[in-house]
Amino acid sequence: MIVSRWILTGALALTGLHAWAVDAPPAQPAQLPADAIAQSVKLDRFTVPTPGELLAALNKVGKPTWQAQYRPPIPTAYTDRPQIALNLGGLIADGYIAVEAEDSQQVKNIGKDIMTLAKTLGVSEDVLRRGKSIEDFAENNEWSTLKEDLEATQNEVKLAMDAQHDEELTTLVTLGGWIRGTEAVSGWIVNNYSEPAAKLLRQPAIIALLRSKLDTLPEHTRNDELVKGLDDRLKAMQEMVSFPVGQTPTLADVKKLHDAAADLITSITSKR
Amino acid sequence: MVAAMLLAPAASRAQTDAEVAAHESVLDLAGAFTNDGFKLRDGNDTGTLKPGESTVVQVNLFAGNQYWFSVSTADAKTAVTIAVYDETGKLLKTDPYTNGNRAAAGYAPDISGPYYVRVANSSAAPATFCLIYSYK
Repeated sequence: MIVSRWILTGALALTGLHAWAVDAPPAQPAQLPADAIAQSVKLDRFTVPTPGELLAALNKVGKPTWQAQYRPPIPTAYTDRPQIALNLGGLIADGYIAVEAEDSQQVKNIGKDIMTLAKTLGVSEDVLRRGKSIEDFAENNEWSTLKEDLEATQNEVKLAMDAQHDEELTTLVTLGGWIRGTEAVSGWIVNNYSEPAAKLLRQPAIIALLRSKLDTLPEHTRNDELVKGLDDRLKAMQEMVSFPVGQTPTLADVKKLHDAAADLITSITSKR
Repeated sequence: MVAAMLLAPAASRAQTDAEVAAHESVLDLAGAFTNDGFKLRDGNDTGTLKPGESTVVQVNLFAGNQYWFSVSTADAKTAVTIAVYDETGKLLKTDPYTNGNRAAAGYAPDISGPYYVRVANSSAAPATFCLIYSYK
């Protein structure tokens, strides 16, 4: 399905970019060879969607009561760096949920927790300034800007990790966000089941990519007690979100996925 | 907003001047979509393609959302094309936009899952590009 041309026309007119052509681009191959697909570039920052994209899609098939997907505040005094990274990702997903709920106090609370966890990693002042901007945007109900700022915050945290030679932890931030987003969305679908909503849970390539990145973590991180226990459960979740095109997960399937995600979140948030 | 996005780092390695120029150029284009309610992803893919060369990037899309994939080269002497494929590798019909060294493809999937964005250098010189996407 193509996006309505009026969207482009109107959008470009708004910015004064009138000189656009409607001619079709030069011919593209009608079929990508299998090796092009297999060797395609897969980037954490581009290939893995933000939790916001999943929430946006769910908004189109229902009227989610996002507050119902809140969870109690999580501990913020972890000492294990992989656990901090996983929980940072989960908190950023919580931020998207609070933005969807247009709940400025919740956004501010989560922003503070994100910054508290980020500080324990010793991240830069740049990241901490992001925390202030999240608070300001929430205060002014700038929900659209907040969605982009949350992703920018996540990327700043990842860059700070890179700078501290904690590159491997960035995968865990992304993974934590994916698990928490899946938990929240599947939780809503369990209580408001519909086929279009259930089909949104089809995400085979995302979890395949995240699992492959876990495989490449340095040995000391793979041997972390929490990280060591992730892959078997992620493998089970991968099977649950890898249903064929045309198939719809049943309510029982969605509940199973939700329980698996919730169980993982419990492990990730539990203090050790 | 464009300035904010430029400040927001998206890759861990330092970008070349040409990549920065391509990024600035593509943000100008994507700004049009932002004005229409599309959220701009912070991440991007940059690189340099030889004449006739292409790159394929995997993305994961959700049914019901609308997406714009935007690409620009660093200068007006080069140009790239953009196309979107489904998970079987079949070329999809997209809403096209081309203007000099900038191009975009709009798509609204009916099926959630992996898709592939192909960027090809259609000029006679090496082209440094920056690819981004927006959704709503």
